This record gives sequence, C-alpha cells and structure tokens, in this order.
Amino acid sequence: MFRSRKKSLNLIVLSLGFLSCFLAACDQERSSAQYSSTINTKQTMNWVLDPHADLIWESSGFVMTDQGVQSLAPTTDEGWDAVRNASASIVESGNLLLMPHHATGRDAWIGYARRLQATGMELLKASENRDAQALFDLGGQLYVDCQSCHNQYLVKAQAGLNN
Amino acid sequence: MKNQILNLTVVLIAMLLSKVSWSHHSFAAEFDVNRPIEITGEVVKVQWINPHAWIHIEVENPDGNVIWKIEGGTPNTLFRRGITRHTLPIGTVIVVRGYQVKSGGFAANGREITLEDGSKLFVGTSGVGAPDDGAGEGR
Repeated sequence: MFRSRKKSLNLIVLSLGFLSCFLAACDQERSSAQYSSTINTKQTMNWVLDPHADLIWESSGFVMTDQGVQSLAPTTDEGWDAVRNASASIVESGNLLLMPHHATGRDAWIGYARRLQATGMELLKASENRDAQALFDLGGQLYVDCQSCHNQYLVKAQAGLNN
Repeated sequence: MKNQILNLTVVLIAMLLSKVSWSHHSFAAEFDVNRPIEITGEVVKVQWINPHAWIHIEVENPDGNVIWKIEGGTPNTLFRRGITRHTLPIGTVIVVRGYQVKSGGFAANGREITLEDGSKLFVGTSGVGAPDDGAGEGR
C-alpha cells in the first residue's frame, strides 16, 4: 500500500517536471516568436522609414521660378490621405526602432525614437487638419529628428572610418 | 585558430562595409571635400522643400550656360537665419562657395553665398560632417 502510494507520488512529481519543462519550452518559443529581427536597422531605415519621410517632404513646401510660386501641398483628399498614412507609418517606425534588436544598449537611441514618434503624431494631426504650413514646419522637425540620431550613431562612425 | 582569424576578418570587413553603405544622408556620401567650388550665377529656381532647400543658378560657361543645383539647409533653418523667399528672388546674381558632388555633375553642397550687395549668408547644414569653413555671420 505504502509502496504504491510512493510510486504514485513519484509519477506525479515526474509528470509535473515534464509539464514544467514543456511549458518553459513553449514560453521560450513564444517569446522568440514575438519579433522577427530579419530586417536590420539599415534596412528598416531605407525600406520602411525613408519612403514615408520622403512622401511627407515631397508633400509640402513651394517652388519659385520665373513663372511664379507653386505650392507642393496636397490639393485632394487622396493626397492628404497619403500624408496621413505616411504620418502613421512614421509613428509606427518609432515603435519598430524601439525593438530590442535595434535599441538594446542604446539609451539615447530610445529618446530619438520617441521624439520621432512625437513628430509623427504631430504630422498625423496636421494631415487630419489639412494644415499645409504645419506639414511644412513638421517636415523640418522630422529632418532634425533624423539628423540628431544620425549625428550620434552614423556620422560620427563615418568620420571615424574616414579618418 | 586560423578559422577564428578568418571569421574575425570577415566580421570586421562586414562591419566596415555596413558603415560605408550607411552614408545615405551624410555630406561625405554625396559631396567631395576635395572639390571646393566658387561659382557665380543667376538664380533661376528655388525649391523651398524639406529636407533641403535647393537653389538653381545659371552659370556662364564658354560651351554654353549651365544650371547648377546648390543644396542648402532645411527651409526652417534658413528662415531662422533670416534667409527667406525675398532674399533670393529669381534673377538675383549670387556667388556660391561649396563642394561639388562626387560624380562631378553640376550640383554642390552650398556653404556660403554672397549677394550682389556683398552680404554673405551661410546656407549650409550643420552637423552632417561637412567642412565648416563657409560659416559666416548669417549662420
């Protein structure tokens, strides 16, 4: 009787051990499946963020010639919708840049990514308000956000390389 | 050991290459510090666009006039320095100092422009690794 009870207890302990190992493996698999780090930082910049920033920049400002002054601001709902979509993508790009494989060990990077998101949110508002002047001004701010980060993580590295 | 050295070399080369190809936005990627220019021309077009304003000037050339594109800072930066659309009306003759594109084409990163009355304006972008010798009072 006693031996049978001991056998059962061993079986339960063994089962719990297997179960916890199984759950731990599942959990590990789930956490590693949360993100894909296939697209590196450079590709994220060139393929994800840059095209949206370009659309923002190409949708504001003006051109002076001997024919007069031509505004580049959107004149249709479709044009403003494209600016809204690009603005939302810039906010989301900020999220992407906060992912561990971009941001780990880079304290200032996190600040720059959040600043980018804040500018993206302002751009979103400007697009919803159809505010061409705000879009133009924020386009300048967007460049400052990009350049601040590049100065710390890109230009200095290149300067070191070139020297 | 040999393999480790080989692997380390490959990694180092890859790191160097990745830094070189990351140069999309920097001065050094597009412009040549060894090609300083000083050209005089008439403003024919100004693009007040982000991320850089562009001033197009028509430059006299023995083989026929040439349009040069001069890259400046962001419009907002230039506005803050007092450079507006009224500063550079079409037809103004200016002298531009800057650095030509690496390709040797008719485009340059502008650092300083001199207006007809002799006043000098810094039109460049700071903090992009460009030489700062053109920085004048208007900066």
